[in-house]
Amino acid sequence: MKRRFLILCSILFVASLAIAAPKTGSIVTVRVLTAKVMKSPKFIGPAAGDVSRGSQLTFQEAKGDWYRVTGSVEGWIHKTNLTERQVTLSSKPGGDGTGNASRDEVELAGRGFTPQVEGEYRNKNPNLDFSHVDKIEKTSIDPGELEAFVAEGKLGGGQ
Amino acid sequence: MIRKIGIVAAVALAACQLNLTGDSIGKAYHGIKEARKDLTPENEYYVGRAVATNILAKSNYKYRDAAGFDSGKLEGMTAYINAVGNVVALSSLDVKHDDDRPTPLAGWHFVILEDSSINAFAAPGGYIFVTMGAVEQAGSEDELAAVLAHEVAHVRRGHALGSIKKSRFAGVMKETMDSTVTLDQKALGDLTNVFNGAMDDMTDSILVKGYSRDTEFEADSVGLEIMIKAGYDPAAFVSYLKKLNAHQATGSGGFSATHPKAADRIAKLETKVAKAAKVTVPAVRTKRFKAAVSDLE
Repeated sequence: MKRRFLILCSILFVASLAIAAPKTGSIVTVRVLTAKVMKSPKFIGPAAGDVSRGSQLTFQEAKGDWYRVTGSVEGWIHKTNLTERQVTLSSKPGGDGTGNASRDEVELAGRGFTPQVEGEYRNKNPNLDFSHVDKIEKTSIDPGELEAFVAEGKLGGGQ
Repeated sequence: MIRKIGIVAAVALAACQLNLTGDSIGKAYHGIKEARKDLTPENEYYVGRAVATNILAKSNYKYRDAAGFDSGKLEGMTAYINAVGNVVALSSLDVKHDDDRPTPLAGWHFVILEDSSINAFAAPGGYIFVTMGAVEQAGSEDELAAVLAHEVAHVRRGHALGSIKKSRFAGVMKETMDSTVTLDQKALGDLTNVFNGAMDDMTDSILVKGYSRDTEFEADSVGLEIMIKAGYDPAAFVSYLKKLNAHQATGSGGFSATHPKAADRIAKLETKVAKAAKVTVPAVRTKRFKAAVSDLE
């Protein structure tokens, strides 16, 4: 009985993987501010190009946590960078900064904290200088350079 | 029995599906009911930016290689720590636990504070700060990776978000949170009050009181898993903690107020390290670490 239970669980687990992936040809939307679309299904290596929040891509196939997509860029993107639906998202999370947000944006992210809330917080704390975090978050590591760093150091990160 | 198996299997299937998509956390968020689980990545992005700014303000905005951040091209030791940090952070996506936070919306960023005390801080949303004192204690790339892995683990496990008191959200209408497309002044005021309170809770935990002992032990344990996944030497985690232990014995270092005794942390990790596969650190890793730290002199 125990063996049958384990087999059943294994079958269900594999089935759940298949169910969790979007249908081939369906649209997925980039949720993070920017993401690399990679030539292979791994973080470290050559990139096919960049996509930004709100970009809509067409799902083709899944390999583990990686999705092969086509559209403005073709390649592999990690699924945590996406929402698996076709939604309209502004470039800034939570709205356009004027207090308005698309219904898609609100449905996906909840109203929660938005550029307006951050603006109010900044007004109440004028001693805080957000220009530093603005600069910090604009920097990124080139995945090709990171690949060389990993290979040289005989690391296995993110493979 | 068959019915029982069916129920268990259905629950397992539902759990699998919930854990497999980045959307699950977003979908779960219908009104802020509970801080850590229900805050979306978008919410985490904004609190992360504010916590990061508070951490920087405490250091008078003094951090290394500021010119590189100005130009958008990372330089010197900061470029190196971001390479190590990104290897660790990207590897953390292959170390999975229930309720892990998803990929930060703005990616991972590692900043060296111009502060001689020994400490490191993780803001939600992937902003990691390490003091010069902590960097100088590291004797190898692998020890530096241990410090960063511990901080990355704090972010992945949502520890700062978990420090927000539930009472902060009391009185904020569900409808305010998820059904209006345009914010009115009352809703904006309510949300700003929640944000202010959340900021107080998080900065208090990160900068003043520290997390609970169990939270720190979890960051060590998950951090060790991440190091192993990245290919770094797990023994370096313990060797770094032994240096902290020596500082705690003399009362020096800035981490004592916010972390458990290093000796207790070592005791929790040593068995796990002993069970892990041994890693021979290649000479090139030692060489490039020495080259990077020479930038500090």
